[in-house]
Amino acid sequence: MRRYFGRKLFTYTLTFFIAATIDWLIPRFMPGDPVAGLMARQGGLSPAGAAALAQYYNNLFGLDRSLPEQFINFWIALLHGDLGRSVYVHGRPVTEAIMGAIPYTLALLIPAILLSWWAGNSFGALAARRKWLDNTVLPIGYILTATPYMWLGLMLAFVLGFSLRIFPLSGGYGFNLEPALTWRFFTDLVAHWMMPFLSLFMVMFGGWAIGMRNMIIYELESDYSRYLEALGAPQGLVRKYAFHNAMLPQITGLALQLGVIVAGSLVTEIVFSYPGIGMLLFNAIKSEDYFLLQGIFLFIIIGTLLANFVVDIVYIMVDPRTRVGMRGGTA
Amino acid sequence: MTGTLNADTKMESVSGSPTNEPTALPAKKVSGEFLYFAVRSKKFLVAVGILIVLIGIGIFGPIIDATDPLAQNGIAMQPPTADPGNWFGTTYFGEDVFAQFANGLRATFFVGLLGGGLAALIGMAVGFIAGYFGGWLDEILNMVTNVFLVIPTLALLLVIASYLPSSWRGVPFEAIFIGLTSWPWAARAIRAQTFSLRTRDFVDLAKLSGRRGWKVIATEIAPNMSSYLFLTFILLFGGAILIGASLDFIGLGPHEGMTLGLMMYNAVTWAALNLGIWWWFIPPGLGIMATVGALYVMNVGLDEIFNPKLRDI
Amino acid sequence: MEMGKSRVIALLAVASLVASACGTSTGSASPAVTTAPGATVAPVASAPVVGTSPTPVVDTTVYPRAQTLYTTGKQWGAPSTWNPLDGGNYATGTLGLQYETLFMYDPLKDVYTPWLAESGTWDSAKTTYTIKTRSGVKWSDGSDFTSADVAFSILVAKNPVLGSTLWTTGGVTAADATDASTVVVKFTNPAYQEWAQWLYNGAIVPKAVFEAKNTADILKFTNANGVGTGPYMYKTAAADRMVWVKNPNWWATAALKLDVKPQFIVDIVNSSNNVALGQLLQGGVDLSNNYFPGVKSIVDGGYGVTTYFAGVPYMLGGNTATLIPNTTKKPLDDPAFRKALATAIDTNDIVTKVYGSIVTVADPTGLLPNFSKYIDVAQDKALGFSFDTAKAKSMLAAAGYKAGSDGFVTNKDGSAIKLTLEVPDGWSDWMQAENSIAASAAKAGIKIDPQHPDFNTVVANRNRPDATTAPKFDLQINNDVQIGNTPWTWYDYVFRPASKSFGTSENRNYEGYNNDAAWALVQKLDSTPVEDVAAMKTITSALQKIQLTDMPVIPLWYNGIWAQMNNTVWTGWPSDKGNQVLPATWNGYWNMGAVLMLTQITAVPAK
Repeated sequence: MRRYFGRKLFTYTLTFFIAATIDWLIPRFMPGDPVAGLMARQGGLSPAGAAALAQYYNNLFGLDRSLPEQFINFWIALLHGDLGRSVYVHGRPVTEAIMGAIPYTLALLIPAILLSWWAGNSFGALAARRKWLDNTVLPIGYILTATPYMWLGLMLAFVLGFSLRIFPLSGGYGFNLEPALTWRFFTDLVAHWMMPFLSLFMVMFGGWAIGMRNMIIYELESDYSRYLEALGAPQGLVRKYAFHNAMLPQITGLALQLGVIVAGSLVTEIVFSYPGIGMLLFNAIKSEDYFLLQGIFLFIIIGTLLANFVVDIVYIMVDPRTRVGMRGGTA
Repeated sequence: MTGTLNADTKMESVSGSPTNEPTALPAKKVSGEFLYFAVRSKKFLVAVGILIVLIGIGIFGPIIDATDPLAQNGIAMQPPTADPGNWFGTTYFGEDVFAQFANGLRATFFVGLLGGGLAALIGMAVGFIAGYFGGWLDEILNMVTNVFLVIPTLALLLVIASYLPSSWRGVPFEAIFIGLTSWPWAARAIRAQTFSLRTRDFVDLAKLSGRRGWKVIATEIAPNMSSYLFLTFILLFGGAILIGASLDFIGLGPHEGMTLGLMMYNAVTWAALNLGIWWWFIPPGLGIMATVGALYVMNVGLDEIFNPKLRDI
Repeated sequence: MEMGKSRVIALLAVASLVASACGTSTGSASPAVTTAPGATVAPVASAPVVGTSPTPVVDTTVYPRAQTLYTTGKQWGAPSTWNPLDGGNYATGTLGLQYETLFMYDPLKDVYTPWLAESGTWDSAKTTYTIKTRSGVKWSDGSDFTSADVAFSILVAKNPVLGSTLWTTGGVTAADATDASTVVVKFTNPAYQEWAQWLYNGAIVPKAVFEAKNTADILKFTNANGVGTGPYMYKTAAADRMVWVKNPNWWATAALKLDVKPQFIVDIVNSSNNVALGQLLQGGVDLSNNYFPGVKSIVDGGYGVTTYFAGVPYMLGGNTATLIPNTTKKPLDDPAFRKALATAIDTNDIVTKVYGSIVTVADPTGLLPNFSKYIDVAQDKALGFSFDTAKAKSMLAAAGYKAGSDGFVTNKDGSAIKLTLEVPDGWSDWMQAENSIAASAAKAGIKIDPQHPDFNTVVANRNRPDATTAPKFDLQINNDVQIGNTPWTWYDYVFRPASKSFGTSENRNYEGYNNDAAWALVQKLDSTPVEDVAAMKTITSALQKIQLTDMPVIPLWYNGIWAQMNNTVWTGWPSDKGNQVLPATWNGYWNMGAVLMLTQITAVPAK
């Protein structure tokens, strides 16, 4: 057990270190000067005033030291949870901006991932049994999984938002409301959340359904299934075993798909101007706010690593062979 | 999903991928068999048909209809009509949507081909080396693959692409970057396959007759995995198209020329949703969906053709 | 098993949703006010609350549509600071709605209206300025507004981080509150024009709050929930909006009989055009200061959208889009070449094709229409330029630039001329304009290569790192100088010597043109009182002669004060035929009269 987790932790730490270093390296070698850009948005400064302000910003962003010193400062700051200061949000800490956006993204991602995984697997398993369901689920599944996330978002927005006016087209909550513990606010929040959630859910659902269906078919054709059938076991029992075996690669598949899912949520938020990490990223790119960009990237990395870790733990709990293997036995 | 692939368990589960033991039939018979089953596989035929139509539009469209996709000559925001020259309507600026669509298809296919191809090459290189040579080489490559697997590709591409000056944001560069970052799962899959193949008799025979390392991979292992490699390439092709479209949609794609993702970016930026200019964003999305969907279905069809166990003919 | 799981999932979803919204707004408490703020808010009947604390009778978390003004177009980025001293960064309306200035200036009528000051007078020597502050004004926390606050607001300009010129080239040497309503400001070599600018641009801040913050870190003070004298107070802010609530104790209601109509002002952050344009068309936004191409079709489209002018040019001019040549590089160092270039550009094409006539061609002097009285018309006609391809060709030939085999002129030494023209990427109208410029210049034989690097690169290319190093660009389009009270700003922008404008953020003299005689005139202009129009005219006429003869910059068109107003909920907007005030929410425009717009609009009666 320890060796398994040790390896995993080592890989994750190494990944984090490499990703963070890439993150730090790249802006130092790009053209253009973000401080100059920030200063250019000011007006009417005397040269002395400009020098003082430039000094202030350089100090704030830490650009006036040598490269190795900057690198070490970067890691020290990182371990303190300080991701630097944003240009887009005018000198406010990056962590503050990200923390404001994260709840929205998590509110989209967590229900979408869990529900689509559960629903997709169930449908896939059902489809593997019934031919008529298979003939409908399979093509729909392929179409859904081939759909780019943002396009499905656009279609939903157009049909449900623009044409039928059921849901609002953009934002986290209405511009005429303030956050409050009222029913009205809550329904408004859900109304704005529904379309981004649906669009994420549908694309992911397609993928899981197809994957599960294929796995079940594969399992049903394997030796142990046929053996059980030959022995006269009821179909339900065979299917139950097949289902449990098919779940395992779906769990690890979840970990592998995290990168794609995160990407999908980013573009979906952009379509709906939903104030999560994706929208923040979009704005950071447009305003060339490199510090915010780096911070978001690191956050995404950390989140993905954590999610991977959680999936690893779940996998161990679910697959008895790994536990046996760790205790030294053979499956 | 481009396939739920993992090599931690003993099973491979790429949707529609071949099973653990690809058959080692001699080359000539495979191609004869291939054609026989190919024309009988509905999935394969439909998918190839769609792809041919799209490729046709992409290649010949801009030649037949030489309208500049960025020329703002038309009346703004015209819905599509049946007149030639206005099949897909115009944008907010009066540009011709069909011209943009045709040119965009070209660029999108190019990104898919170059990006997918590059990823396939890297994946093959890493997978073969790790799978065949094993040992510490395998350990290192495995570590590298794992690291790249965990990092969300789009986030990495975003960071890289956002720092690039505009002159670097052309279609070729985008394709290269996508290729350089989307190979890990392919490497892992190929490694697993190579692993199982290298213990087979014909490999031992080849080694006995004096062939070494690369030659063995090139002459014995790779040809036996050829169908698998091709399927992997197709999935990479589709994946590259999707990633490219996402990058363009966020605004990090090329600003010169036109791609399908860029069309959607422009549509959203210029309030196509609010103004109801549906003909601006539906064609590009449909184009991507059709291309990638056709690729996936072709993948499944080919899988059935290559693998007798999956055929239900 | 499955049922339990889905219930957990649903609960998770609910919890994360509510947590997300409640956690995002950066402070939603209204500042403490001595009188009840809720008196003028109509109670909103809300649905029974499920399982949470009881809703108050007056619900100030919902803004009734008929009492709310929705604006957009100024805020590019989440509102993050409400410190009026933080030049370009404060949230929409901080200066103007919450904080005010001593005078209000109307550029269309060229009139200074006493605002927080009752009067301001010079002594006979014109070196001492006495301000009488208005009585009866209270800060929004109830304390009295006194001359001490004004004196402090002048003193705080000494803080080098704020980059103000008041105490340096402005000539201020002392500012003292001699009694509760008098401030005496002493000058040596007063720069009257700059001082007049400060009178309507300088924020008056409460000494009690800002004195302790007056250090090198003054800009880190965000001043959320700030204390101001203005018609509005901070209500709440989030990543995508800024909300102001009406100040019931605004001094101008009693003193000047001015009553701002909207109870709430919600300024929406420009995250993307689709939100802004969509909201405008659907009546969700009342005033949009965004730039939209195709304004004519929007106005004619039956959405109830109007603009300042009912027809062409639709918008008022707010700044001059100028072509800046790098005069340190060949062949742009030759005035004859620059004049030929000016004559080769078809500005009319830009105005009609690119902008659909919502802008107008600029006067060759570059001065905005509100300064027309300073334009020496006869001289302008004689020395100015206008579009004429044939004339441009002959000017080039006469200056010694011969056309090569490809039709493009070469340098005098025979080397090819290829000038790069840069505009920031994403500024779609400028990107189209530069293509037009390149096309018309090509007809006269000048080869221009239009580029659009990202904004930071454009800025980096035009900045001088120090007094002696020349910048890298060839040509750029720039519109830094906004409408204001004096043409001095424009001439300072054109003629300030390079030795005085370098560093990370100098924004003068990008073209690198040095002319000592011109700079002497500019300084003389600065020391001319704003009332002495005759003297100003003489100086500006001389400056125009220099500018038109040497052509250091090429004015192209007047960029508009983009304003689209939806009349579905509010009407009575500024217009050419009605109330002539500036319809803009941009920084510096509130105190140029836009606040009056809020007193003039009326709610459309509900049907």
